[in-house]
Amino acid sequence: MTLPAPPVIKPDTDEDEDLSRPWQVIVWDDPVNTMTYVVYVFRKLFGFSDTKATRLMLQVHNEGKAIVTDGPREKAEFDCYRLHSHGLWATMEQG
Amino acid sequence: MSERFTLRNGDVIVDIPAEERSFLGQVLLLLAEVDESPDDPGHRRLNVPVYLDDSTSNEEWWRLMGEELGQSRARDRDVYERVVSASGPTVLEGDDANAFLRVLNEGRLAFAARLGLDVAEDHDRLPETERAALDYLGWVLEDLTVVLMSAL
Repeated sequence: MTLPAPPVIKPDTDEDEDLSRPWQVIVWDDPVNTMTYVVYVFRKLFGFSDTKATRLMLQVHNEGKAIVTDGPREKAEFDCYRLHSHGLWATMEQG
Repeated sequence: MSERFTLRNGDVIVDIPAEERSFLGQVLLLLAEVDESPDDPGHRRLNVPVYLDDSTSNEEWWRLMGEELGQSRARDRDVYERVVSASGPTVLEGDDANAFLRVLNEGRLAFAARLGLDVAEDHDRLPETERAALDYLGWVLEDLTVVLMSAL
């Protein structure tokens, strides 16, 4: 006798949001913020080294955007707030 | 010419000539106008979306964080006003130099948005007076940024 396969019970979660996937904070290029200012904001807000902050700034400048931080949704929302308060355009999306 | 910004024991000494302080004061008038005009390009630039593909989450973010952002900007502008309305050098302690920097940057962003500066190449197409004003704000911003960066 063959037993039927047990039913698969899926956890009751929001299908649109996988909590295990981190949220990414993306900074977009704009023609007004100066390169020095962007490097300063990255260093000040996130404690990045000058090398890392400059690399991210150049990625924003050359590629149009860069992921600068990631983590839980609440952290990403707060990082966006801090970047917006410094005039940088930051958006967030789940990675 | 003396330095506009000097670092001393962790504080920033601001020494901007009177005619420049008068010009910089106009940034506050510009930002006040922009705040009151949701359709102003400057307003849109200072209130950009956080979620690009989720209008519900974006509205929620602005509902929760927008008021705090507005209060933070208002505090920054109080610091800025103190500097541009002073009759001489000003000492900025703690985060006040960053507050001044943030307002200066907001002003540049709003001004550039009003001028229709969408790509870097637009800069050279600006009328001479507007381009000079934008460049001046950029020089002041750069001066202060370099001083603050040296303190990190």
